[in-house]
Order: sequence, then C-alpha cells, then structure tokens
Amino acid sequence: MEYKLRKAEPRDVPDILRLVKELAKYEEMEHQVTLTEKELLEDGFGDTPFYHCIITEIQGQNSSEDPKVVGFAMYYFTYDPWVGKQLYLEEFYVMDEYRGLGIGSGILRHLSNLAMKTRCTGMMFVVAENNEPSVQFYKRRGAEDLSQEEGWRLFRFDKDSLVKMAAPSEE
Amino acid sequence: MDFSIRAANLDDCKDIARMIMELAEYEKVSDHVKVTQKDLEQDGFSKNPFFHGIIAEVPEQHKTKEGHTKIGYALYFHAYSSWSGRAIYMEDLYVMPEFRGKGVGKALISKVAQLGLAAGSHQLNFTVLDWNKPSVDFYLSQGCFDITATMGYHCMRCEGEALKHLAQL
Repeated sequence: MEYKLRKAEPRDVPDILRLVKELAKYEEMEHQVTLTEKELLEDGFGDTPFYHCIITEIQGQNSSEDPKVVGFAMYYFTYDPWVGKQLYLEEFYVMDEYRGLGIGSGILRHLSNLAMKTRCTGMMFVVAENNEPSVQFYKRRGAEDLSQEEGWRLFRFDKDSLVKMAAPSEE
Repeated sequence: MDFSIRAANLDDCKDIARMIMELAEYEKVSDHVKVTQKDLEQDGFSKNPFFHGIIAEVPEQHKTKEGHTKIGYALYFHAYSSWSGRAIYMEDLYVMPEFRGKGVGKALISKVAQLGLAAGSHQLNFTVLDWNKPSVDFYLSQGCFDITATMGYHCMRCEGEALKHLAQL
C-alpha cells in the first residue's frame, strides 16, 4: 500500500482534530479534548507555530478519490537544561485499520532524523503504562523508561537509539 | 528581604549555569548535567530560543558570601497539548537555600504564570521528584494538582482559576 508522509498544511486541520479525538477515544479520554479547529489553525500555522505536525496519507482506490489522512504526529521542541534540546512527541497515532504497515515506524524514523538534524539530544514523550502495544513498540526501538512506576511515564530516545532509528529502512 | 524578578538576558547565563548545577546537586544527579554556559547562550538567546528564563536578584547588600546577587531562576518554554492547546512548561524552578522561605519561589512561579497567560496558555505543567517533599508541598499549596499520583516523577498542572490566582500573587 502506497503511503505518503508529508508536513501538515492548514487544510489538514480538520483531519488532525479528527485523529486527535480518535486517539483520545482509544485512551478513553475523548471528553478531555477541548481544542478547536480554529485554535489548531492559529497555533500551528501562524507566525510562531506552537507545534509542528506531519501526516501520513494513503491514496484512494480510484485516482479520482482524495487521499485519506490515516496517521499523524504532533511535536515541538523542548529544552532539558542538563542535556539541551529535545524533540517532544506530543501525539502520535495511526488509524486502527492501517496499523502493521510500517506507517508508525516511518513517522518515527522521519522524526528521529529531524531530531538529529536539529541537534536534539533526545526525543521525549509520555505513554500510559496500561497501553501495552505502545509501550512494547517504543521499547523495541530502544526507548528508556525514565520514570519506572505505574501510570504515565517519560520516555526518551538517547543518541544511539536515535541514530539507529534514523538509519534507512532494511525493507 | 528585597528582591526583584525579571526576564533573563544573555549575561545571566553564567549564573543560570551555576544554579542549574546547584539544582542538579540538590536532586542528586549533577553528573547528568552536560549543558554549558555557551549552550545556554546559544539555545536561549538566539533568534529562535528554545527556552525562556526568569531571574530573581537581590541588591548588593544581600549578596552571598561568594558575591552572587542572582539567587533564583525559572526556565520555561511554550508547549502544546493536543487536547487543550497552548500550554506553558516550567522546566526548572530554583532558589538558593539561604534565600528560601521569603517568597522568591512564589514570585518566580507567579511570573511564569503571568507570562503564560499573556501568551494564551491554558495550563502550566511541570514535574517534581516525589521524594522532594518541600517542593511538592509548596506546589500543592499554590493550587496545583497531581496528575500522576503514584510515580517517581509527578506532572503537576496549574489551570483555570488556580493559574489566574497564581498570576495575581
């Protein structure tokens, strides 16, 4: 299946919000999403973006169909005064029916490359401990659990794991 | 005790680097610190800064025996919640031991809250080590709540009324 990873554009905002809500629903927190399309537009595509977004789209069956947005990642840059710039992965989601196709790995690879290019020393994110599939997905790729207790965790990819992830795919 | 709170500038990086190390020592992880004064200058004070700083300063007559007048700091940056939008993340908050209990910490976090609200933030997030009881108690007393109650690292959040109140201190 052909998929394309690209930078999000203003026209993608409705899809971004749709996917944010889908992920929140998956985490049983849908009622917590108060963000609107208007805010996403102003905050991501104004003079000073508060976040960046990449999306994955899949071409429809017929060439006349619009491509469908099936995955996204929302990230921004943070700062750890001990080790410097970090890429913070705020949101990362692939629609259920499109998993297992390498879309998630492709997104992470792109982001690791970006982190290295921008001289970040790590990529950080938070995962709910009971989200076993995601925990395993990240651990397989060398992520460290910084807060080894139950509940939310801070994950970090260190330099070596970033380099590995940034390497071209074996496929 | 007289003190002032102001935005950090390039010249403050030496003292910020010093106090980052002091905070890391307090947190028992000073060997983790790799960032240098030069990194701070580049990363915080170039065209697209990765963080912002606030400094607490005392007049000359209150300086430490080593001659420091910059006795506290906060580091923060703009963050984003995919659920609620603009947020502020407070990365560090530190007051030198001999200047604690005099309202400096409150003033620093209040300034961060003000700047956060002015920038349209809906929440202020930060983390605390759970054994750091003086800090946990201080933050809880300011109206924050603990989002992850059973962990080593706690994410704390001030939002809505508590945030507005904090900005008015």
